[in-house]
Amino acid sequence: MSDFIQYFFNGLVVGCIFAIAAVGISLLYSVLRLVNFAAGDFLTLGAFITYFLSVTLELNFFLSIIVSMLAGMGISWFLELVLWRNLRRNKAGTLALFLVATGVALMLRPIIQFVFGTETRKFNIDILKTYDFFGARIPQTQLLVLIFASASILTIALFIAKARIGKDMRAYANNPGLASVSGINVDRVVLATWLISGALGSLAGVFQGLVQGQFNNAMGESLLLSFFAAVVLGTIGDAYGALAGGLLLGLIMELSQLSIFFGGVPSNYKPVVAFATLVLVLLFKPEGIFGYRARKV
Amino acid sequence: MEAFIQPGFWIFVLALAGIYGIFSLGLQIQYGVGGIMNFGHVGMMAVSGYTIAVLVIKYEWSFWWAALAGVILAAFLGALLGLTTLRLSGDYFAIASIAFAEIVRYWILNTDNVTGGTQGTLAIPSPNGFSSYTDKPDVILTWISDRLYPLIGDEASRDLSMVLVVWPFFGLFIWLSSRLQKTSWARVLRATREDDDVPRSLGKNVFRFRLQTLIIGSVFGGLAGVFWSVQFALLAPEDFLRIVTFYGWMILILAGATRVKGLFVAAIFFGFLYGATRFLEFWPLSLLSSPERAYLRVFLIGLVIVLLMVKRPQGLFGKRQEMILE
Repeated sequence: MSDFIQYFFNGLVVGCIFAIAAVGISLLYSVLRLVNFAAGDFLTLGAFITYFLSVTLELNFFLSIIVSMLAGMGISWFLELVLWRNLRRNKAGTLALFLVATGVALMLRPIIQFVFGTETRKFNIDILKTYDFFGARIPQTQLLVLIFASASILTIALFIAKARIGKDMRAYANNPGLASVSGINVDRVVLATWLISGALGSLAGVFQGLVQGQFNNAMGESLLLSFFAAVVLGTIGDAYGALAGGLLLGLIMELSQLSIFFGGVPSNYKPVVAFATLVLVLLFKPEGIFGYRARKV
Repeated sequence: MEAFIQPGFWIFVLALAGIYGIFSLGLQIQYGVGGIMNFGHVGMMAVSGYTIAVLVIKYEWSFWWAALAGVILAAFLGALLGLTTLRLSGDYFAIASIAFAEIVRYWILNTDNVTGGTQGTLAIPSPNGFSSYTDKPDVILTWISDRLYPLIGDEASRDLSMVLVVWPFFGLFIWLSSRLQKTSWARVLRATREDDDVPRSLGKNVFRFRLQTLIIGSVFGGLAGVFWSVQFALLAPEDFLRIVTFYGWMILILAGATRVKGLFVAAIFFGFLYGATRFLEFWPLSLLSSPERAYLRVFLIGLVIVLLMVKRPQGLFGKRQEMILE
């Protein structure tokens, strides 16, 4: 039982991080039809900027997180202005969008390595302190991440449901033509989507860095496919679905290690569980858990 | 600047260009003819290379049979990938194919007793304690360099022999593939690339055509794996990261997706980019350490891909109309 609580809790924490990263990817897909291959490296960037501000410059941790989210937004904005806007104007196809996103990822990664180095980093927070919870050992960092990540998820969900720009986004994603004739400013919607995904990328990166305890510059890249799995699981392009898909995938990955499942999946195969989930969902339910065949995704 | 005029540098560039050119040819057939966006192509190269290493070292097969098995297995995996996921639409298939290649790499990484795990093929358990698998092809490469030695002296290296072996094959494969692309089979595929319904209304089984394309492309991925494994004589899981697939894509879009012969030039450009960031020793490159050069290489490849897609999506030799009609 204590095993179950342990893995369930881990799953919730990981799932919240997946959810935050996945919703950014899903929003971008729904608005731009862009599969953001650079999303993983935005996580790494967020974690490293926060590390630089809070550990090297010894600034307040929360202030550092906010600045790193602003940096993620700034870079996304810059790329939208110099890159994506032009590609949209040129009516770039699926392959072009794919390859440019990959190209951005390939450029971002060495820049992070050049600026911040390749060493393993950790935040200035005691990762060894744990709380006892029905026999399960819950590290302090995980508890913090769970609280702040679920608060962020609620904020995101409310924002998409209630805020003006959130509504515009959903309208545009549903029917771009109709949305633009009914007076929605397309460039503004697209820009907002980029800003949100940039901020969420940084935030998820800090959370992931906290949960791992230590991280290096390969952190985000290695998680990218898990995020895609979460996005596809929760119906590609559906923001709420991505939140649920992220949580579900986190739980699947952690609970798969319980010994009742074929003696438990070894923990170094955890990423494979995510890839396999991705492939299986694509095979049997490509429209995702919340999708209908009739709905065009 | 000296490395620039050293023949050894250019010979390495050419050897690499030949191998990655063949690799990219697989993607060319898949995308340029069939419109399939395969981002897991590196999986085929990894599978064929590792099949050779494991069969020769662990089971003491002859290199030639092992190479045949490697290519067949790559084709088989292409079929498996296609049968399971090729019915998905473009972006879904692309994501699935990446996941597929990553599963292959994780499997290699975590089955130490077969593949040597993180330590690469050197750690494959071998009945006679001998962990090299290239002695058969090495006989041929040595024979070639022995013949060349009286003519050109010390420039007769293993790399040069490799160039002399790989390039005729590269040329042959390009010729075969450009012949293939003039057949009615390829015309059907080009039609499916633009629109599924027209060929379907003419009674063509679109899925079967696509599957055939994917398998043929995977065979070229497997063949590239054979040459790759001979050239480097040692395989490790980090040689088959996701980025290797994008080496192939960079070559392909540089050439222009529908221009087979452009691959010659584009592959040499890639070989140069790779070799230059590895060996050239003049300022400012001389300021960088070798891991930093590896980042520079990744950065430049990303930059070339982005610039091409923004400024010249049809590649150096392509037609703009064909690129836009995806």
